Amino acid sequence: MAEIKIRNLHKEFGTGADKVVALEDVNLDMGGHVFVSIVGPSGCGKSTLLNILSGIETPTSGSLEITQSGHKAAPGYVFQAARLLPWRTVMDNLLFVQQDKSDETRARCQKYLEMVQLGDKGDKFPGELSGGMQQRVGIARAFSIEPDVLFMDEPFSHLDAITARSLRRELHTMWADTGKTIIFVTHDVGEAVELSNRILVFAQGGRLEDDITVDLDFPRDAADEEVAIAKASVLRKFEEFDLLAT
Amino acid sequence: MIAVVTTMTTEVPAPDRVTQEDIEEAARRKELIIRWISRISGYVVVLGLWEWASGAVLEENLLPGPTRVLQTAVELFQDGKVFPAFGASLSRILLGVFLSFIIGSMIGIITQNRWFSGFFKDAITIGLTSPGLIWVLITALVFGNRWFGPILAIILTTFALVSVNVAEGIGSLPKDTLDMARAFKVNLVDRNRHIVIPHLAPYLFTGLRFSFSIGWKVTVLTEIFTASSGIGFELRIAQILFRQDEVLTWILLFFVFALFLEKVVLQAIEDRFFRWRKEIAST
Ligand SMILES: Nc1ncnc2c1ncn2[C@@H]1O[C@H](COP(=O)(O)OP(=O)(O)OP(=O)(O)O)[C@@H](O)[C@H]1O
Ligand SMILES: [Mg+2]
Repeated sequence: MAEIKIRNLHKEFGTGADKVVALEDVNLDMGGHVFVSIVGPSGCGKSTLLNILSGIETPTSGSLEITQSGHKAAPGYVFQAARLLPWRTVMDNLLFVQQDKSDETRARCQKYLEMVQLGDKGDKFPGELSGGMQQRVGIARAFSIEPDVLFMDEPFSHLDAITARSLRRELHTMWADTGKTIIFVTHDVGEAVELSNRILVFAQGGRLEDDITVDLDFPRDAADEEVAIAKASVLRKFEEFDLLAT
Repeated sequence: MIAVVTTMTTEVPAPDRVTQEDIEEAARRKELIIRWISRISGYVVVLGLWEWASGAVLEENLLPGPTRVLQTAVELFQDGKVFPAFGASLSRILLGVFLSFIIGSMIGIITQNRWFSGFFKDAITIGLTSPGLIWVLITALVFGNRWFGPILAIILTTFALVSVNVAEGIGSLPKDTLDMARAFKVNLVDRNRHIVIPHLAPYLFTGLRFSFSIGWKVTVLTEIFTASSGIGFELRIAQILFRQDEVLTWILLFFVFALFLEKVVLQAIEDRFFRWRKEIAST
């Protein structure tokens, strides 16, 4: 199981008058079979945190460690935009991130394409797909490497409600079945409450304001009273920290 | 997707099912026929005027007609003059464009560095703007008919095109996609092979294509001035001997060959490597 340990993490962009603090002194331990949601207003450093965790960005100071039973964990990443290679077919886009390109791997990629309802689009180029379909290819790509830890940056926000709903179910099932660690960024508090057992609330300037445990049974339905109450209480925290105004 | 257009819009049942595809196919065919008819009539008009003008406007010796030129072309082929001449010109072009491509690319790469960018800035501007004729004259003066005269002229007229394109390609590398690959721990070789090179390919191709078409002009020009083989050389000899029919034949052969390279060879390369763009364009 993946263990993530973050100590005094600090991230700044630019210097002098242009300086922006994206993350300020973040300390976190996440690990095991956990679904963590990160919520907060736009520009509070959510994507930056995922970028640092996945090694795309380096922190200004502080340390972090992601391990999977002792060795370095293999991460998967679903980005805010699909980020596909336009000159490769959908299937080749999935194969691109695989360590080996065997028939077995190919079959696994096909399985995840089917999961996102794109089983028949393997030999299309991304430019031939709609934006939502491209986003789903991005989701299949991250799943297809069967990562130890999965980072997801508002993966469903560009999708229609029905597709998003069914993918949320798939995601939950996969998480429940495989015992992965999932770090999930969203601006939808309802989505966070429905999926996660832990919600981190970030505020402008990259401060971690709150760390909420959601201790309810899965599967959760937004219509359930307990789920609605949990959602309301998270939203109250938002008001408390004055996050809604920004 | 099959839409039965006629039966859906009117009460009259269609005798056969007319599908959307059939309609599109018919439109496509019509488009193609029109394109070819207009193209061929262009040729017919020009050749007709030419045939008429030869003799009626200018003396036949000064302006031999197309039938005469065709005869001369056949003779030149039979004498075995055509292929060696084209071979000589083409090998100069290929070598020149190849070297220009290498040099231009290297300059395009190192000008990513601020210091080198300043160093080459004006050279590139001059390279882009100065007409090939200048370099033809200079290299002809300096090197006479030594083999690297035309090659150097090609390099000087085309390297800037390549380096500007390469620099632009490097400047627009898709950072997001490269970051994605890094996050998925794709190794450096695969990142270059599947992201950097495919991204640069259209830029390289554009540079190559322009270099090639300019390379033609420059080569023939240098050959007219100095060389002892090639199309330009044959043109010069024909002119000195006052064989106007041969002059026109060489020019015509040149046109045909250039068209062939452009429409067949380069187009085939483009279709092969940039299929993904076609697919996008068609949706
Ligand atoms: N590469 C960068 N260069 C400069 N500033 C950056 C860069 N990336 C992010 N920032 C800044 O860091 C801050 C946090 O950005 P980040 O993208 O992490 O926000 P976010 O929480 O993901 O927002 P959103 O919900 O809109 O996606 C912002 O102020 C942003 O302008
Ligand atoms: Mg973001």
